[in-house]
Amino acid sequence: MNSVGEACTELKREYDQCFNRWFAEKFLKGESAGDPCGQLFKRYQLCVQKAIKEKDIPIEGLEFMGPSKGKSENSS
Amino acid sequence: HPWETVTTAAMQKYPNPMNPSVVGVDVLDRHVDRSGKLHSHRLLSTEWGIPSIVKSLIGTCRTNTYIQEHSVVDPVEKTMELKSSNISFTNLVSVDERLVYKPHPHEPDKTILTQEAIITVKGVSLSSYLEGLMANTISSNANKGREALEWVINRLNAEIEEFTASARGTMRNSMAAAAFVEK
Repeated sequence: MNSVGEACTELKREYDQCFNRWFAEKFLKGESAGDPCGQLFKRYQLCVQKAIKEKDIPIEGLEFMGPSKGKSENSS
Repeated sequence: HPWETVTTAAMQKYPNPMNPSVVGVDVLDRHVDRSGKLHSHRLLSTEWGIPSIVKSLIGTCRTNTYIQEHSVVDPVEKTMELKSSNISFTNLVSVDERLVYKPHPHEPDKTILTQEAIITVKGVSLSSYLEGLMANTISSNANKGREALEWVINRLNAEIEEFTASARGTMRNSMAAAAFVEK
């Protein structure tokens, strides 16, 4: 799967591989401490943010997205 | 399929043959909150097969629709919630979708999906025919979504099978026969 920024696709693939492994093998089993993908994610993010600006994609600020979407899950 | 399988597949849903118009997926933000839930904000780029001559006239950006998706995975309560809404340049019609995946309360090898869509049209009143048409499309898309996850799960299983077959000789993984149950 490609990235919205063509130049970011390789970075995205590396990050995705790392994340998918961590998600299935650690996070879902309750070991969410420690994210081995932090560096990969940062590099990938910088690239994506740039591509979004260049393509002028009107994304609502992430600060708005979180609280306003009204997560309704109950914490245990 | 068990909730863990469905959730893992949902995180890797694209590409799949049931959603050929999704051409790009990016993670805008991802973090684990204080209560241990994983939040992901993703951007999906879709393209609707517009003839290339039109694209060259108006530019690719205008032929793409973008969808913003926010998902929350709670590994303790075993819920996955997905909320998505489309970002379009016309802003006339917006579709907000909400999906929740939870383990089946009585059958642990199954997952329940609840799905709802809210269609908002600005300014124009849709005739009931059009409303019906959109509702049908959305409900057949819901089936498509299940098929898509089924496809991803099969793909992931095939990868595991290949790996274990080559590593240990013969070993057969079998998934319990299961179907998605829609509430």
